[in-house]
Amino acid sequence: MVSARHSLQTKLTASFVILILLISGLTFFYTYGATKSALKDTIQDELAQVAGVMATQINGDSVILLKPGEENTTGFIAIRDQLAGMRANSKEITNAYIMKNSGNGIVFVVDDIYGTDPNAALIGESYTTGETSTIFEAMKNQVASKDFYTDKWGTFMSGYAPIRNSAGETVAVLGVDMTADKVIAKQDFIGYTIYLIMGLSALIAGLIIFYFSRTMIRDIRKLNDTAEKISMGDMSAMVEVQRNDEIGELASSFSRMVASLKIMMSDDDNKP
Amino acid sequence: MSQLSDSVLKETTVYLGPASKKFLERQTQAHLNGLLFDHLESQHLDELVKWIEISAGLLIGKDKAADLIKKIRTL
Repeated sequence: MVSARHSLQTKLTASFVILILLISGLTFFYTYGATKSALKDTIQDELAQVAGVMATQINGDSVILLKPGEENTTGFIAIRDQLAGMRANSKEITNAYIMKNSGNGIVFVVDDIYGTDPNAALIGESYTTGETSTIFEAMKNQVASKDFYTDKWGTFMSGYAPIRNSAGETVAVLGVDMTADKVIAKQDFIGYTIYLIMGLSALIAGLIIFYFSRTMIRDIRKLNDTAEKISMGDMSAMVEVQRNDEIGELASSFSRMVASLKIMMSDDDNKP
Repeated sequence: MSQLSDSVLKETTVYLGPASKKFLERQTQAHLNGLLFDHLESQHLDELVKWIEISAGLLIGKDKAADLIKKIRTL
């Protein structure tokens, strides 16, 4: 009896499982990379569109009137509440704010967390990160961050869109943030799903191969047992394998050979 | 050798291999009143089939023997 380690069944099953894992592993790396990139593109588009829609709701003429120190005026509070209300409608968006080009760089005008978060930006507070070039770009068109960026509030991906006054001139930029955690969670979800599908596929394929190889090996063992019995002089042994594949052909040839051997070896007087 | 003998031998060889001639010769001589297998005629076939089923069943099993006689009956 061949040990399980050297069994053809073990080798076949192990080979196929390794092959499936290899193929699905390579597919995973390609698919995961492509999906991550596609997901990032989709999020960037969504952020830019959300910013675009929100920006059209903001009155640019009111924004431009706000000056440093006017955080408690009705004009500021109205815009802040409008921003907070719109942000609350989208569970993906964590911050909404308005910035403008002061001539010396980008500065905050309205931060929707003012009054609820001590870290909120004040009117005129300067904003200087690598993201400012994207904000300048948003003076013309709605855009999104090229990649994640980090500032004093955290790590985000953002969408920006121009806010225009009644004359159609860009007076400020509206920004919306999505935290990196949310984007990474979405990417991880895809990764875990692919891992799960890959694992289940390998398991199911392994079970199927194990089942098929077991029937194959079982019949090879039967042939082997018959050969062993005949080789030890037991002429009553018969080949009991009925298959339509190559093993079946082998069994038929073997059965023919055994039958001939029995006839040849039999005594003419009392054997069939 | 008659044409029927040749056909029976061909079918039997598929199941019993090169010793088929010896096997069939033994069946006809033992059970068909010493008939030489080469002289087999259609009127002998029913009796021969009966003995092939019994004897081949002992060599290759009843299922395969049943397959064999089914083919011989169509000759």
